[in-house]
Amino acid sequence: MRPQKKRFRRRVKVCRFTVEKINYIDYKDVDLLREYTPTNGKILPRRVTGTRPAFQHKLTRAIKRARFMALLPYTGN
Amino acid sequence: MPLYELGVIIDPEVPPEDETSTLERLQGIIADAGGEMVKQDTWGRRQLAYPINKKNYGVYHFWAFDVGGEVLDKLNFEMRTNDAVMRSLILNMDRELRRKRKMDAKMEARAAKKAAKAAAKAESAADED
Repeated sequence: MRPQKKRFRRRVKVCRFTVEKINYIDYKDVDLLREYTPTNGKILPRRVTGTRPAFQHKLTRAIKRARFMALLPYTGN
Repeated sequence: MPLYELGVIIDPEVPPEDETSTLERLQGIIADAGGEMVKQDTWGRRQLAYPINKKNYGVYHFWAFDVGGEVLDKLNFEMRTNDAVMRSLILNMDRELRRKRKMDAKMEARAAKKAAKAAAKAESAADED
């Protein structure tokens, strides 16, 4: 019997903004922005989330605005 | 006149009449310049993500208004010098949404093209039968 090889299937990453056709990211939409900032408060890279570059730019801008308005933390714990 | 969006955090420890007077003064500045309020949104008392001036709560107000750009300096000055205002942010929504409108138009065009193609395909399939 051959030892069975462990197979990993990489989850397909999709850009949420492309799929849902969100063309403007509002800094007041905290629930949406939270998905891209883990508890440590950092912005998740597009390498991890699969976000398209154009939307990643908009996302970072929205997150930074939300941080300034104290809607999101600069740092977590 | 472009559409602006203002977000402002008011100190919750300030007496309520000070809060209303501050907001009224800001509205007065906009109205004096012939601006028009489009939307007023109040989130109320909300916990801040981090303490500002050792305060953990803030009262959030968001307005959208049409006004000439020269008023922004006045508004910013008023908000900077007013002790009741903890944070404020003004965005030019016309500039913000320009890209969105362009992308929306592009997507619509693409969808229309796809629909037309599908229709043409269906037609040719019908012809073959």
